[in-house]
Amino acid sequence: MREVTFLEAIRAAIWEEMERDPNVFLIGEDIGKMGGAFGVTTGFQERFGFDRVVDAPISETAIIGVAIGAAAAGKRAIAEMQFIDFISYGFDQVVNVAATYLYRSGGQVSIPIVVRGPSGGYVGGSLYHSQQFEAWFFHVPGLKVVQPAFPDDAYGLMKASIRDNNPVIFLEHKYLYRRIKGTIPNPEADYIVKLGEARIRRPGDTLTVVTYGAMVHFALDAARMLEQEGISMEVIDLRTIKPLDMETIYNSVRKTSKVLVIYEAPRTGGVGAEISARITEECFEWLDAPVMRVAAKDSFVPFAEPLEKFVLPSVDDIVYTARQLAHY
Amino acid sequence: MSTTVRNRRVKQDGAIRYRDRLTKNDLLEIYRRLWFARVFDETLYDMKKKGRLRRGNVYGSRGQEAIQVGTTYPLRPDDFTSPIHRDMPIFVFRGMTVEQVMCQVWGKANAPTRGKDSWSHMGDMRLGIIHSTSMLGSTIPVACGVLWAQRLDGNRDRVCVAYLGEGATATGPFHEGLNYAAVHKLPLIVVVENNQYAYSTPVELEVPTPTVADRAKGYGIPGYSIDGNDVLEVYDTMCEALEYARAGKGPVLIECKTYRLQGHADHDETRARQYRPVEEIEMWEKRDPIVRYREYLLTTGLFTEAELPEPPADIVEQIQNAVEYAIQSPDPEPHTALEDIYDESAGVSR
Ligand SMILES: Cc1ncc(C[n+]2csc(CCOP(=O)(O)OP(=O)(O)O)c2C)c(N)n1
Repeated sequence: MREVTFLEAIRAAIWEEMERDPNVFLIGEDIGKMGGAFGVTTGFQERFGFDRVVDAPISETAIIGVAIGAAAAGKRAIAEMQFIDFISYGFDQVVNVAATYLYRSGGQVSIPIVVRGPSGGYVGGSLYHSQQFEAWFFHVPGLKVVQPAFPDDAYGLMKASIRDNNPVIFLEHKYLYRRIKGTIPNPEADYIVKLGEARIRRPGDTLTVVTYGAMVHFALDAARMLEQEGISMEVIDLRTIKPLDMETIYNSVRKTSKVLVIYEAPRTGGVGAEISARITEECFEWLDAPVMRVAAKDSFVPFAEPLEKFVLPSVDDIVYTARQLAHY
Repeated sequence: MSTTVRNRRVKQDGAIRYRDRLTKNDLLEIYRRLWFARVFDETLYDMKKKGRLRRGNVYGSRGQEAIQVGTTYPLRPDDFTSPIHRDMPIFVFRGMTVEQVMCQVWGKANAPTRGKDSWSHMGDMRLGIIHSTSMLGSTIPVACGVLWAQRLDGNRDRVCVAYLGEGATATGPFHEGLNYAAVHKLPLIVVVENNQYAYSTPVELEVPTPTVADRAKGYGIPGYSIDGNDVLEVYDTMCEALEYARAGKGPVLIECKTYRLQGHADHDETRARQYRPVEEIEMWEKRDPIVRYREYLLTTGLFTEAELPEPPADIVEQIQNAVEYAIQSPDPEPHTALEDIYDESAGVSR
């Protein structure tokens, strides 16, 4: 076992996959000599060379397009967005080119790429360095969407994403990069976290919390506070946002009969809406209360601290809504 | 118009030297503006170091002042600009107050964005300053739209100057926007501040042509590649480009060669001395645009040493006062975060 930060876990996973499989390569802005804006790929270019650690021009369309083309021709590409917000320039490549490729090639060509980058708020990053874009891609058939909350999951999920034969959007919450530490297995263990499997991070029986990313930590904080009031929250960390592990959610709902879905993106049209809809369709008779949500307000993520705090969900918001639900 | 890249340095003989029309007052004002830009930059780095600016990055423009000053000085009040992250002084040159700009930096309620957005992501359409986002290159098509509106209104000689780093010329919107401008002969002047690095990436990995100005050939428009550390060279070139654009001949691309003397932003100081050769940084420090201009002014015999203080004290004071003003200004009220997402006023033309 190794003690690492969240960021180091991601780094270790990519490094080990590149050692294991010569088909894996990286492309992105400033990822070579500098090792990326956050240092995820520090030292990679020295080890794997210029052709496997490509410093691309500021051209997100090309970066993702090159990843797709190389994947169509047998490689496994990892494309870094310096901030995931910039994936918007490559949106067409992800949505119309990568996602559809297998389908429109009659099953001939799969696209094993990972488009990864820092996402999320709480760091004063303002409008274009704070966004949680999962809902955009959640909506698209053919894509998988992953967002870990702990180093071990980040490690195992990154390996699984690289080995997966489909385009995976891998969201790395920048708030967690250096704040969250944990242990990961040694390389020999070949530790993999399968995509599509949620994990119960904390068992409970008063209500079920379904969440992912940085919100897992907020939910766990809230759970510790509510414990003293006799409210026992079961916290499910989705880990993979698409495909959703509904079985784990349904099993928990059948136990607690109350559900709170938490996500950091704007409330309207978020992933939580889909989760809520499915629970109502499948577990209606088990429910003792409406499925509730805590999410960002329907706004952009503003710069000034009081504004950012107002827009993004807080531990207090979770505690407040969880109480309402518990006493429903 | 031929599409060859023109280098004003070799072509100086016989070319119109717009600088000869500058009065002593103009020359002094240019000097003061260079210092304004320098002191602005130094002050914010200092504030960051002292912990008095706790949120947001400071993107420095040390070494690039001649571009900011030389390209804006010949503009008309009704021209448009779209500055980017390294162009904070341009907001002031185009009519914003220093206080407004500082309030923006500190995310205050009385900032142009009311604390919503950070740093250079601001503008003021009343001053012809087009708002930008972080998305590099995204202002070029928008600038075309602003100019299109002028065409619809019959204002064919209002020019827009859109700024960009050399790295940003690798984006799709840059190409699409410039192509659009060229096809429709819009009076768009694209100023590429080629400071040799996009974050850590050297220009050779962003631009394949010998100069960034060579890109102009692809759009059939004039491209200039000039010394961006020579404020009068920048000024002359800009004047020439303005004449061309105002005459309805279409867009112009001006590459101003310069160097980013600091890190990409304040957080990047240590790394920026690792991913770049220190000798290179030192070489460019010797080409300081303010030192060069001052030396030139002294050779004209128009100024004494004492008339050219380094820096002018009143500018330092002006900037300091604006900083204090910003720090004391109120933070935005939390609920205002939900304002200005939609405009629900009646849908008539403004
Ligand atoms: C579309 C897009 N991709 C990536 C970034 C991240 N980024 C911000 S500044 C920068 C470097 C810009 O270099 P350049 O355009 O040369 O301007 P400079 O910073 O050198 O003035 C990068 C990659 C961004 N803002 N937008």
